[in-house]
Amino acid sequence: MLRFILIRLAVAVPTLLGMSVVAFAIVAIAPGDPVMMELRALGVVPKPEDIAALRAEYGLDQPFLLRYLDWLGRAVQLDLGTSIATGRSVVTEIAMRLPATLSLAVSALIGAVLVSVVFGVCALSRNRGVAACMRGLTILLVSIPSFWLALLFIYLFVLTIGWGRLVSDGTWSDLILPALTLGLGAGASLGRVVYERIRAELSEDHIRLAIAKGLAPRRILISHIAPRIVGPLATAWANTFGALLGGVVIVESIFGWPGLGQLILQAIAQRDFPVIQAYLVFMGLIFFTMSILADIVVFFTDPQLRRTLSDD
Amino acid sequence: MIERHLSLPALRFGLRGGRFGLMMGVALLLGFVVLGLSPLFVDIAPPAQMDLLARLAGPSDTHPLGTDHLGRDVLSRLIHAVPVSLGAAFATMLAILAIALPWGVIAAVAGGRVDMVMMRLADIIMAFPTLVLALAIIGFMGASLQASIIGIAAAWWPSNARMVRALVLSASQRDFVRAAYLSGASRLRVIVRHILPQVLPPLAVIISLETASVLLALSALSFLGIGAQPPTPEWGAMLNQARPFFSQAPHMLLVPGLAVTAAVLALNLIGEGLRDLLDTREPYEW
Amino acid sequence: MVALLQVQNLSVGLPFSAPLLDAISFDIAESERVGLVGASGCGKSLTAGTLCGLLRTPLRVLAGSIRLDGTSLTDASPATWRAARGRSVFQIFQSPGTALTPVRRVGTQLAEAAQIAGRDTKAAVSQALDAVALQPDVTGLFPYQLSGGMKQRVLIAMALILRPRLLIADEPTTGLDVLTEHDILTALNTAADETGASVLFISHDLRAVRRIATRTLVMHAGRLVEDADIADLAISKAPAARALATAATALQNPC
Ligand SMILES: Nc1ncnc2c1ncn2[C@@H]1O[C@H](COP(=O)(O)OP(=O)(O)OP(=O)(O)O)[C@@H](O)[C@H]1O
Ligand SMILES: [Mg+2]
Repeated sequence: MLRFILIRLAVAVPTLLGMSVVAFAIVAIAPGDPVMMELRALGVVPKPEDIAALRAEYGLDQPFLLRYLDWLGRAVQLDLGTSIATGRSVVTEIAMRLPATLSLAVSALIGAVLVSVVFGVCALSRNRGVAACMRGLTILLVSIPSFWLALLFIYLFVLTIGWGRLVSDGTWSDLILPALTLGLGAGASLGRVVYERIRAELSEDHIRLAIAKGLAPRRILISHIAPRIVGPLATAWANTFGALLGGVVIVESIFGWPGLGQLILQAIAQRDFPVIQAYLVFMGLIFFTMSILADIVVFFTDPQLRRTLSDD
Repeated sequence: MIERHLSLPALRFGLRGGRFGLMMGVALLLGFVVLGLSPLFVDIAPPAQMDLLARLAGPSDTHPLGTDHLGRDVLSRLIHAVPVSLGAAFATMLAILAIALPWGVIAAVAGGRVDMVMMRLADIIMAFPTLVLALAIIGFMGASLQASIIGIAAAWWPSNARMVRALVLSASQRDFVRAAYLSGASRLRVIVRHILPQVLPPLAVIISLETASVLLALSALSFLGIGAQPPTPEWGAMLNQARPFFSQAPHMLLVPGLAVTAAVLALNLIGEGLRDLLDTREPYEW
Repeated sequence: MVALLQVQNLSVGLPFSAPLLDAISFDIAESERVGLVGASGCGKSLTAGTLCGLLRTPLRVLAGSIRLDGTSLTDASPATWRAARGRSVFQIFQSPGTALTPVRRVGTQLAEAAQIAGRDTKAAVSQALDAVALQPDVTGLFPYQLSGGMKQRVLIAMALILRPRLLIADEPTTGLDVLTEHDILTALNTAADETGASVLFISHDLRAVRRIATRTLVMHAGRLVEDADIADLAISKAPAARALATAATALQNPC
């Protein structure tokens, strides 16, 4: 176990380094460097020698590698610079809004997992009518854009029925609608995975034996299919979480959920590079952690894999 | 001897495998093509023509789907958005394939260290949540439709490259491919004659499902105001402009949303239908 | 006495095409052991699968009836089949290598069978393992840690635990060495002796069938062509049966 985690983390180091290069390079090679941005934000029309001086002051005349190492050194100390728009440390800006975004993403993920199991299992119903309906509903839900679903929900629940509100201060009751919006779509696409996986398992010889024993479908599902598919499903959950981390941006802005969404949209509009970069770094790290957790689940649910790693 | 009725199960057999869904998907997509081409044959108001006296008007004879906040005909904008929205999605998918196909095929065929390095590079990009990476790229390029196409293509290609690689690998492990190698066929010949035909059908499934997700992402970006910019007619952007007039003019919200949903649905139906056709495994019934 | 299993005019196949099993009829009496032989691809496994209700779509029963242990299984509901499986009929499948669920320990999978049969788990499992000459500690192993012969014996142990009225063994010795084959056949006979189950022993090897049964059915291209004592196959009217008998004698007399 510990051994596996250590190996997994060791393998992760190059990927992490690669990610940091990507995050750094996006700024470094972006059209119009941060100095110009800052000057423009100040409303100054700079003279060429001023630019050169400023560039030297920021170390922008250094070679790429040196600048990268310098950036990395500060990044590991959680110093990712200051926001051009607000002048505050971007880490503070992000940390302020991260909990709201994470709680939305996590609740949407939980909802999605529940929805996916229901959809996936019902799509395998022996009743062909039920199965066909569930499959149709799944494809429909996967196809509805979350922003439009959000608007429909607002129209239906907020404007017509009068539940919920459009300005939210991050309390739990305000979480329901955005989480539902995100969770339904994500749950439907996860449901497809659940359906495919169970169907593949149901074609296997060992399920034939379980059926021949006279086991009830529920028992087969729980004790013969579930242990085989949690590994792949955990990977799918991690990927869904990644998709939700991006998806929250869309929904947050509609429901006025005070997460990172508004910050990043503003940053894109104002070309506030440090904020965008920090956003990329944080989201990347969170997603990466989830992927490692999924790998650990895969490892745990595969006896053969467990064995090979503990033997050598 | 009891003869059982054959007609019903046979009918079910004919309809199973998503053939019905596939047909619906193709029909929907053709519908969009016809809709997109219709300005060539039918006289339709230009999408930018404003009628400030008829702003936010509901459906009427002159404007079957009503008008928007500038008095522009919603139907005309919807139709003129077909080539923009769908075109952008297909262009993005083309860009994704242009990277993912050679990347996946080369990695699978070369194997060894080349494969490892190529997949490691893809993994680095895949370690970021796709939409987040796309947002970051758009942020650094400045909001525009081109930027969102580039952002999405850059974020989406690695997973596609991985899938292509997996397909090629499983195809090249078949006995007749090995036999072709052993009988001295050149690598290129084996790829073109033996591997490609096996890879194409599952690839078609991937392409249509991925195009669906790309279309969703592109319209979301336009909806957020960082994709297609006004006055370009684009479904997501139309929805974005409709937001302030939510309660006054719900028709402005309904129509573009339905268009996106129908287009994505068409692609998903085609993808799932093709997948069902290719899937020959039959589950045991409990 | 009414037979335990009655199969009448059973036809199986794809709708609208020539049946793969064509009007098969046979009976198996209580505690009787019957062989089912035939060339590869003649439909033996298909017969066995049909008797367990394990046909996959699009294959289906086209005509005929199955009656097992007093219950009609013709067009039976899923619940009826579920009640029959394990208790009335159990099958040891042709490919033992993939038959067990890879992620569950052998012991858990055997215990599950004991639960279905309503027996005391510990006693039933250890008794069954003993009967098939397996060490008690295999319960802690995963299927991938067992050899093919061991897996086959685990399946027989499962049959011993379940105590079905009819046990179908589909080529349980194919691909095994002679010594293991001997052990498996012994275990199978023990299982039948202990539980009083009827056995349908499927094989393409008459020598193996002879160890289990005296009466044997011969299949050829989806039809049942002979139902006779093994000793009488050489003088059978069916060419397929004679061919099998000649082949078996030829193998026994080294030239
Ligand atoms: N799902 C299916 N669809 C169509 N034909 C099938 C299907 N399953 C089996 N068959 C056909 O049914 C016939 C009988 O197959 P079966 O597996 O019963 O043979 P068998 O007698 O058990 O052979 P073996 O000794 O090799 O195990 C074969 O010709 C096979 O091609
Ligand atoms: Mg067989």
